[in-house]
Amino acid sequence: MSKETDRDKDRQEQSAAKESGKGIGRRDVLQGLSSLPVLGLFGYAVKKQTDYENARPEARRRTSAPSSRPSDINVALLGAGDQGEVLLDAMLKIPGLRFRAICDIWTEYNLRKLVNRLKKYNFDANGYEDYREMLDKERDLDAVVIATPDFWHARQTVDCLQAGKHVYCEKEMSNTLEGARSMVLAARASGKLLQIGHQRRSNPRYLHCYERLLREAGLLGRIVTAHGQWNRSVKPDLGWPQRYAIPEERLKRYGFRSMHQFRNWRWYKGLGGGPIVDLGSHQIDIFNWFLEAKPRHVLASGGTDYYDPATHEWYDTVFAIYEYDTPAGKVRAFYKTQTTNGSQGYFEVFMGDQGTLVISESEAAYSGSIYREVSAPPWDDWVRKGYIAAPRIQEARAEEAGAVLDVRESVSPDEHRIPVELSDPYHKPHLENFFDAIRGTARLNCPAEVGYETAVTVLKVNEAVEAGSRLAFRPEDFEV
Amino acid sequence: MDNEKLTRLQTISLALLRVLVGWHFLYEGLAKWLKPNWSASSFLQQSRGPLSGFYRWIASTPDVLAYVNLANIWGLILIGLALMLGCFTRTAGAAGLFLILLYYFCNPPFVGYFYSLPSEGNYLIVNKNLVEAAALLVILVMHAGRYYGLDRIIHKALRKSHGAPA
Repeated sequence: MSKETDRDKDRQEQSAAKESGKGIGRRDVLQGLSSLPVLGLFGYAVKKQTDYENARPEARRRTSAPSSRPSDINVALLGAGDQGEVLLDAMLKIPGLRFRAICDIWTEYNLRKLVNRLKKYNFDANGYEDYREMLDKERDLDAVVIATPDFWHARQTVDCLQAGKHVYCEKEMSNTLEGARSMVLAARASGKLLQIGHQRRSNPRYLHCYERLLREAGLLGRIVTAHGQWNRSVKPDLGWPQRYAIPEERLKRYGFRSMHQFRNWRWYKGLGGGPIVDLGSHQIDIFNWFLEAKPRHVLASGGTDYYDPATHEWYDTVFAIYEYDTPAGKVRAFYKTQTTNGSQGYFEVFMGDQGTLVISESEAAYSGSIYREVSAPPWDDWVRKGYIAAPRIQEARAEEAGAVLDVRESVSPDEHRIPVELSDPYHKPHLENFFDAIRGTARLNCPAEVGYETAVTVLKVNEAVEAGSRLAFRPEDFEV
Repeated sequence: MDNEKLTRLQTISLALLRVLVGWHFLYEGLAKWLKPNWSASSFLQQSRGPLSGFYRWIASTPDVLAYVNLANIWGLILIGLALMLGCFTRTAGAAGLFLILLYYFCNPPFVGYFYSLPSEGNYLIVNKNLVEAAALLVILVMHAGRYYGLDRIIHKALRKSHGAPA
């Protein structure tokens, strides 16, 4: 039967039915129900969509698998200042630790404060002024966490390792390369673990970016530039309650000229390294890590432009440019730190020919985003896998800015959020990694050799500022 | 209207329009229903235009807002289902038209208004809401449910039970 005759028959049937006003024909039923399959299609699409939306939180859960119930580790804290307190508070959230001792030369104040804090958690920790006395008396210590001023790190770490303790030492590893080198050698000789406190190396968001987005998915393509910054507002010098001042004799015994220098050691040459070391070290470490390379050259400018140079020997403002030779090609990385304005905070950015990664330890300020260049291959598969969130389309807000989009401007790339969050204190995963490594269930994320490479990279900036010229790194500079 | 026969292409196009608009309504409703703590509050609070006082009043009156949220979700779902299946299409079309116009006047793209809601295009008086409203008007006046929809059966069944008009 031809189509034409079929259609005619259908029409006749319809009009006949209408005219008679009775009877629901077979065609009426078929036509009436013909929209039903669309409902099935709709259900299938909704199911797919909800599965996709549920995959994201699952991917997030996978990145933070809980560690198994551990056996107790005996821990001492060496250095009870602000950073020691941060580390202690993070450790108090880690199960399986027994706090045995705390050591600090400010026995009247910081030491007493943290010993009392531990009492609240039912740890009867002994307080010490001298770490050597602590090592002598606390024979069953397994690990020492060091958060003293940088110029003490090398000696204390070496002594602890030689006493058979595992050590977690805050960054900067040391204020001198000789000191840092002695730490690497002591770790090797003792066979004990030495973790350096570049805590982003254990941050699940940074690990996700490095392992999945850069290494596995290669989302940035060929990385050509990187930049980072840490802007911090003006801060008055740290003070102290007069009645708790450390006696001069004790200060001198531990290398400090005055109570002011003891409280503000980060600004003094020979004791700390200034903001480029205190702040920049964390982020320049990420350049080395993510680029999988060590720099070949560094160029830097800086100075004590704002504060009193008598009490701020290190530079309050530093700009540095590194050149890396990576297997993929040359990468230039710019880093800036200033301590006179906190606007824009701190973050690191990596820019490749296919995308841009913006990441910061401060999730509140920069929650972590990756932007796809319009010319890059689609990222739909990675969205589906839960590696990155679905894109937020970037609008050219020309009318808001009162600007006209120029033909030379590139189209704004889409923004994908990094779907991994850290709800714990920043230092907790890195400390956990250290304790897991002691138990033999993990490998250190920042062993002494890696900390040494970063120390070489960062300490050279102050050298370059002083030299006022571009300095070269030799490959052997990074080796011990 | 019965006197003017529509071609098959015309009836299929009408049915397609009805199904697509229905799909959109149904998913809008379902997505809101599945989202925990979804509320129209922020949409209403950002209202601009001559009726913004009314919309903001809804947003700031919790009892009314709760009712509006519920009515919105289930309105969208029921209208969407009805349009997709082509049953009670004219009622659904009228209700959908009313709902869409409510959205339209919450943030009408009139000359000179600044909109804080993100949008992906550029609109002057006419936006996608208004176009969808016009589509619903077509569905409504063309009895679109009678083509490839359950209304074809319902219509006949009702006519049969009430006695067919001459």
